[in-house]
Amino acid sequence: MPASGISPISPIHSASPLVEEFLQQLTNGLAVGGIYALIALGYTMVYGVLKLINFAHGDLFTYGAYLGLTLLTSLALTDRLGFALGVLVLVLMVMGLVAVLGAILERAAYRPLRESPRLSAVVSALGASIFLQNTLMLIYGARFQVYPDDILPTATLNVLGLYVPLMRVLIVLASVGMMVALYLFIQKTRIGAAIRAAAIDQGAARLMGIDVNRVILLVFLLGPALGGVAGLMVGLYYGQVNFTMGWVYGMKAFTAAILGGIGNIPGAMVGGLLLGVIEALGAAYVSIAWKDAIAFVVLILILIVRPTGLLGERVADKI
Amino acid sequence: MKKSLLAMVAALSLGLGGGAQAADTVKIGLMAPLTGSWASEGQGMKKIVELLAEQQNAKGGVLGKPIEVIVEDDGGDPRTASLAAQRLTTKGVAAVVGTYGSSVTEASQAIYDEAGIPQIANGSTAIRLTEKGYQKFFRTAPRDDEQGRMAAQTIEKLGFKKVAILHDSTSYAKGLADEANALLKKKGVEVVFFDALTPKESDYTAILTKLKGANPDVVLFTGYYPEAGLLLKQKKGMNWNVPFIGGDATNNADLVKIAGKAAEGFYFLSPPQPQDLDTPDAKAFLADYQKKYNELPPSIWAVLAGDGFRVAVAGIEGAKSADGAKSAGYLHKDLKNFPGLSGSIAFDAKGDREGEVYRLYKVDADGNFVMQKK
Repeated sequence: MPASGISPISPIHSASPLVEEFLQQLTNGLAVGGIYALIALGYTMVYGVLKLINFAHGDLFTYGAYLGLTLLTSLALTDRLGFALGVLVLVLMVMGLVAVLGAILERAAYRPLRESPRLSAVVSALGASIFLQNTLMLIYGARFQVYPDDILPTATLNVLGLYVPLMRVLIVLASVGMMVALYLFIQKTRIGAAIRAAAIDQGAARLMGIDVNRVILLVFLLGPALGGVAGLMVGLYYGQVNFTMGWVYGMKAFTAAILGGIGNIPGAMVGGLLLGVIEALGAAYVSIAWKDAIAFVVLILILIVRPTGLLGERVADKI
Repeated sequence: MKKSLLAMVAALSLGLGGGAQAADTVKIGLMAPLTGSWASEGQGMKKIVELLAEQQNAKGGVLGKPIEVIVEDDGGDPRTASLAAQRLTTKGVAAVVGTYGSSVTEASQAIYDEAGIPQIANGSTAIRLTEKGYQKFFRTAPRDDEQGRMAAQTIEKLGFKKVAILHDSTSYAKGLADEANALLKKKGVEVVFFDALTPKESDYTAILTKLKGANPDVVLFTGYYPEAGLLLKQKKGMNWNVPFIGGDATNNADLVKIAGKAAEGFYFLSPPQPQDLDTPDAKAFLADYQKKYNELPPSIWAVLAGDGFRVAVAGIEGAKSADGAKSAGYLHKDLKNFPGLSGSIAFDAKGDREGEVYRLYKVDADGNFVMQKK
């Protein structure tokens, strides 16, 4: 029961409980969608430049969650630095470490196959995914790992009669902030222009004096860094991490990237948020058990109408 | 891995086989997952049965002969189990206790039945095992539908009028949910919600919001502990204070680790934990067990293997014969109110255990699982 006396000013609150439930589901969907979108960025950037689907990306997300847990508990960051600064340092460390992992992955699994048929690189990506997942299992064990539950503020905001945990709002804000920063970086800086040039035509970019290898390396630093942060946020907020969690999230994020138009950065953001909302509303108004099926039916319908995804017109530009 | 395991099993069986011929004994087999992912259960089963055999032999054995326990490893794997079963049948055991996993037990049922050896499973709860008409198959574990009955009964007893049921689409959880649903409707309790979540996700707020919209007095969740922990935690984040009841798949200490403080007040159904067994007989035995092995049995399933052993001995003693058909007949017809470690034991015509095994537990403020009075 929402405390009806607290927010009499709100016009929405006086509306029916149906509206209230709808808005609650919308916020639920946006929170999950924000995570999908962050991971989707990694898929879409790599695809944009290399036309490669990096199946190991979901596992880099899992590494972010596990590294975050280890660093948090072994360095006691939040005890020493306070909550806000501690989490900030933790985010930077996880981003850095997962970015390095991403770069190693590129060097070891993808660069040797750069000139091979595309199928070889996809097989290599699947192999890397299995390798990363099993390494994690051997190090940490197959059981669930649990973040300490007393580090986060547990405050719940009462916004217009909706209960929204403070951390949820922060997670959505942080993911949107990072996405906007990435977008500006790609659109407004010289390095961003180089990435865009390499995405359009690697050969031509090379002729223009762009070091394409460094561009690819950069893409493999940025994408995994964002994926790693997404993993950390899932760990911090939901508290439970498992070495196979990257599979489910990776699959959904990959779907989100296609939904928005793979290779397109704003498309990944829109696709992620949209997928989260479709899932939440599907669960709410059709059936919980069918929510994934609903999400994928929507994906198929959108692809029938717009084969390149919602914002995927850039693919047509190239031809 | 496989090779060394086989070698170990072979060495074990050779060693035991060699000694077996010397003395005139009554042999009772134990088939248990000594290796594999359920190894801790299997080791507990072995310890319990060996200690009980020791105690029985101190009292003069059975039919005037000492009991010899022959242990075979099933590795928690159906294929290994069928090999183990074949080895036990060739060694002339009078009865077999075990095993843990339902599919593993299933792989051995026909082998023992053909050899005329009574089998008493201890951890296998799948309904189908006793629906095949095997006359020499028994189990000390409850059946899955027994839990559904207990869930419906508990909800009625606690006075809840509107129930939401949530499962996770696994055959175990869905079966339990269907069973409870049907029984609750018969009792006139309103089921306001029935649906499934997708396991292994981390965000269940969409489901919880929908559940909340159905406005139930209580939520019955029949799935496993990782999802139960997340549901409890996220329910608290939503400021929703409805009680949750779980099935025995939520009986795991990690539940409290995942849910933290939000686990307080969570109810779940489970066979009693070993330390909660309250008959004087069970208490005395657990004390002996602790003295010998310096620990408690790993779970109730190991204790149920002990009950299986006692029942097997009672069957042989009652029938005054080590013949399988005779002792199985005694167990079906004449064994009534047998004092087992986990409560009184009797078997129905299918070989299922009669009487209630499940208890209601509640998580207290410190995260301990506290057994509720009946």
